[in-house]
Amino acid sequence: MKDLIQINGVKKVYQSKAGPIHALGPIDLNIREGEFISIVGPSGCGKSTLLLLVGGLLEYEAGQIFINGNLVNKPQTDIGIVFQTPVLVDWRDVLGNVLLQIEMRGLKKEVYIEKARNLLRSVGLAEFEKRYPFELSGGMQQRAAFCRALIHDPPLVLMDEPLGALDAITREQLRVDLEQLWLLTKKTVLFVTHSIPESVQLSDRVVVFTPRPGQIAEIIEIDLPRPRTIAVRESAAFQQYIHQLTSIFMNFGILRDTVSTNQQKAVVGEE
Amino acid sequence: MTSLSSTTSSKAGGIFASLRGWFSEARNTILFVIGFLLFWELAVIVFRIPRYILPSLSSIIRQFVRNFDLIWEYTLITGYETLVGFVIAVAIGVPLAMLTAFSRILRQTFYPFAVALEMVPKIAFAPLFVTWFGFGFIPKMIIVFLVCFFPILLNGILGFTSLSQEMVYFSRSTGASQLRMFWKIRLPAALPELFVGLKGAAVNATVGATISEWIGGDAGLGYYIQIATGQLRMDLAFAIIFMLTALGLLLFYIVQLVEKRMIPWHVSQRVSVFGKREI
Repeated sequence: MKDLIQINGVKKVYQSKAGPIHALGPIDLNIREGEFISIVGPSGCGKSTLLLLVGGLLEYEAGQIFINGNLVNKPQTDIGIVFQTPVLVDWRDVLGNVLLQIEMRGLKKEVYIEKARNLLRSVGLAEFEKRYPFELSGGMQQRAAFCRALIHDPPLVLMDEPLGALDAITREQLRVDLEQLWLLTKKTVLFVTHSIPESVQLSDRVVVFTPRPGQIAEIIEIDLPRPRTIAVRESAAFQQYIHQLTSIFMNFGILRDTVSTNQQKAVVGEE
Repeated sequence: MTSLSSTTSSKAGGIFASLRGWFSEARNTILFVIGFLLFWELAVIVFRIPRYILPSLSSIIRQFVRNFDLIWEYTLITGYETLVGFVIAVAIGVPLAMLTAFSRILRQTFYPFAVALEMVPKIAFAPLFVTWFGFGFIPKMIIVFLVCFFPILLNGILGFTSLSQEMVYFSRSTGASQLRMFWKIRLPAALPELFVGLKGAAVNATVGATISEWIGGDAGLGYYIQIATGQLRMDLAFAIIFMLTALGLLLFYIVQLVEKRMIPWHVSQRVSVFGKREI
């Protein structure tokens, strides 16, 4: 498969009152077309920053990012984007929120209504298209956000901890649904998470970041059959990957066996 | 029997049903108000409170009816000052809030200045305005404008700048122009906060008009209150106060009506005044 995204020596430095903060990089990473790739790392390691850089939503100080051979130097519009919060607008119903993507792009709404309905059906929101965000649970809102990120058929979807704010059970279900959605659409997905099991369950490759300034510590290919059913998740191979990733964090000193630190919670999530 | 009653209620139309619904919801509130007014009437009689201290409700109503022509004439005057001042404050305040929210220069220069001005007691200018503009309509209208302008401006700025960073990222990823982003996202997102300002302004408006008439007026309800209290005609003064209250409520409810039409989706619109959730 050919590379969709090339990241060459990218660095990000934030200016703060206390002086410049080296947040990220240098990063070298190629992302293949149609690949589900996760970035896992401790809090504050710059993984969300990388996602925003790829989206052209932040400026970078050094290096280059190419999408489809084009240099990223302004906000990219050939993408879908999902955040930790659903970022729906209160004044539109679910269908209207999905179609907001279309209207903002100046495309014809009528052309996309059927597609929006299909997408909503595929995430179990068929009967909720006329509901407003406040009438939905957090998980349902986030499903609507997925639909909004996919309605315009972008080749690349950026997801910044999209399941991070959900309760454990909803989160479990949404992982399954998200994989299903990905298998259906075969988009390239750049997925940021701080949950090791989540990254193993969803990804073709997991990129592990070091603590700040975030750099790539290791890239692990997840060679497990899809869909990653409960049987797969309980397999020895799956556990082996989790063990492998956990050891990397233990080597950083972010995870320790004896004391429970906040960082530990941050890395392993709810598991 | 059941079918009969259901046909009657559907025949009677939505108006009666919704009126009945409103009444059952508002019943406690209405009963309380009636109880309060009865207590007032009785207390004045039972405790023999002199009428130049606190008049009875019945005497207030009598005065209201007897002097209705003049009260109504002055209501139109005060109402006009209130309305014109309010409308001008909206017409200038909302666009200025927009400009300030989107211009870095204005945020650095005008915004701190406006916050400081908000602290100035606007009423203190009333005597100056009388000196400058005389006893007529203009100085009252300016006072009303001033007490309405700042809540609209400051809440408006708050509304137009309250968009989350994620929403901005999403908008940019769609490639939408600033103008489209404004119409589709920024403006509707700003409305709830803007209406907080508009309602605050509506409350201030009649206060501003009344006080400016006290300070230098020859007509209007505020002026009339001064005449009435000067003659110790407290029943008349209360009658005028009731009219002023009605005027203030009218303006407030108009704003609220517009609000209900424009932002029915907002959390503030989903809770009824009587405390029952409407979900």
